[in-house]
Amino acid sequence: MIVMSNQAGISDEDFQKFREFFYRKTGMLFEQSKRYFVDKRVLERMIATDNPTFRSYFAMLRFQASGAELQTLINLMTVNETYFFREEYQFRCLVDSMLAEIVARRTSTEPIRIWSVPSSSGEEPYGIAIYLLEHWPPLKQWDVEIISSDIDTQILHRAKQGLYSERAVQHVPEPLLKKYFRHVGTQYQIRQTLREAVEFTQVNVTESADMRSHRHFDVIFCRNLLIYFDDLSRKTTAESFYDALNPGGFICLGHSEAMSRISPLFQIRRFPNAIVYQKPLEAR
Amino acid sequence: MKRILVIDDAATVRLYHREILENAGFDVSEAINGLEALEKIEEATFDLYLVDINMPKLDGYGFLRALRQRPIPQAPAIMISTESSANDRQAALVAGANLYILKPIKPEQLLPHVRGLLGEWQQP
Amino acid sequence: MALKKGKPTPSSDVPGERQQARDRDGLLQALQADDAMTRRWAARDLAAHSEAAAALVGQLRRECENSVRQVILTSLTQIGNDTAIQGLIDCLYLEDAMLRNAAIEVLKELPDQVAPFMGKLLQDPDPDVRIFAVDVLESLRHPHVEEWLIEVISQDPHVNVCATAVDLLGEVGSEQAKAALISLKQRFADEPYIQFASDLALKRIEAE
Repeated sequence: MIVMSNQAGISDEDFQKFREFFYRKTGMLFEQSKRYFVDKRVLERMIATDNPTFRSYFAMLRFQASGAELQTLINLMTVNETYFFREEYQFRCLVDSMLAEIVARRTSTEPIRIWSVPSSSGEEPYGIAIYLLEHWPPLKQWDVEIISSDIDTQILHRAKQGLYSERAVQHVPEPLLKKYFRHVGTQYQIRQTLREAVEFTQVNVTESADMRSHRHFDVIFCRNLLIYFDDLSRKTTAESFYDALNPGGFICLGHSEAMSRISPLFQIRRFPNAIVYQKPLEAR
Repeated sequence: MKRILVIDDAATVRLYHREILENAGFDVSEAINGLEALEKIEEATFDLYLVDINMPKLDGYGFLRALRQRPIPQAPAIMISTESSANDRQAALVAGANLYILKPIKPEQLLPHVRGLLGEWQQP
Repeated sequence: MALKKGKPTPSSDVPGERQQARDRDGLLQALQADDAMTRRWAARDLAAHSEAAAALVGQLRRECENSVRQVILTSLTQIGNDTAIQGLIDCLYLEDAMLRNAAIEVLKELPDQVAPFMGKLLQDPDPDVRIFAVDVLESLRHPHVEEWLIEVISQDPHVNVCATAVDLLGEVGSEQAKAALISLKQRFADEPYIQFASDLALKRIEAE
């Protein structure tokens, strides 16, 4: 590693070129201050792919027909960890801003529908449920349905079980931990009433038939999924989300994902806690 | 310091405009297409927009139309195009551009326009 | 009132106004429906029928609802056959800027299929079409990209076509582009942008 990095440095010009390319592809812009972080990962991949120079690695990244190396690099650049209340500011935005707007224009008492996809092992949908119970008093007057989906049946099974390590619940305040979890050995399990409040389904978001059975949502959380897709699947999925949402419905993406690289169908809404995307109210 | 948002999908063009404008004492931000520009205007206020016409996701016209409907303090916009038909000029002005200029851009041509528009701009 | 277990949307709940057979003919009919959501779902499901490319291109040029246009474009990308490509290339000549830009975006997604058309596009008499062609080259993962770009900056008489090509050479250019970049600088000696972009490309090539 030390020997390699002596031979194969990344020059300032290389960094600029890489940075522009990566920005265009993903919307992630690395500042000069991130130089070390970026170089380290790129050098790592150069070694793994047997590219002795940045030039040959960059050519591979750019011209590889499958785009697999770009995907690998994206995975490396986006540290993806699931734990309870990850990117909590969006939950805050849900209870403080989005739901208020949704409720204000409701003409019926139909349930409010929230879709969390991918479910992963359940931290997000249960986290939303806890947030609503704790921080959204109008829950007394409204029914809220939470559906959570994943393509992976094994992970869906784990999500339904709702068993978590100490690490996964580290951001859950003590009183909430007591209230919504029970100790099982060294682990924490979501209490049964809460487990029964979330519906889990298997969905491939790029499959039109799967998407047809998931509609009429008011809010969709789809965080840190699209970043792992190619351009076309990303666009296909965003367009299906458009038809899965009620007019005026919202979609929340992960912090390193930008709808400006995906689809022009949604409007940008800036709330005090977060920027989210909205299907236009007048949408047909 | 006056803030200018440069909106163009070509990295070299953004860099070129950045150098010209920063050397003239302006503060410059960039956006890669119209949609990203709409995100930027949610986060900051700009005194002038330099807008390319042809961009992916949301082009220059689309950006200007959306910008002009926003309930935010408005600012002048210069549309930059490679096309020269009267149609495009007309469409740019209708969409909300204050000026329409053709590529390639020369600094000595751009800067007087920028200063001029900033000087005479009044909130509509 | 409280948290309730939700249910997926039942299959009896059909998107759009009315039930339509989801075979090709049913979908082609639904593509003409009055309701935009019906047209979107039809366009989306027609991606599985490559012989629907011509109908999708036809609808694209008539369609006035942007959300439907977007879905049609995505389905054409998924189909990606010659009919789809030719239909999208025809859009480059239209007055409608939004459609033109959308077509460029889709063509960029289909490098292998577009490559055979590239030689002709780069020779098009309309400089704007040549600029679009160079734009499409941006995403082409094709061994000829650099050669094509060198040819453009060596031969194309239009400054803006060359300018677009130089932008790209800043990213993909190698030693073999140097001579062409230097002569481009001489050919457009009084265009500061060409000077700037060529110098940047040269600097990057030399840093290798």
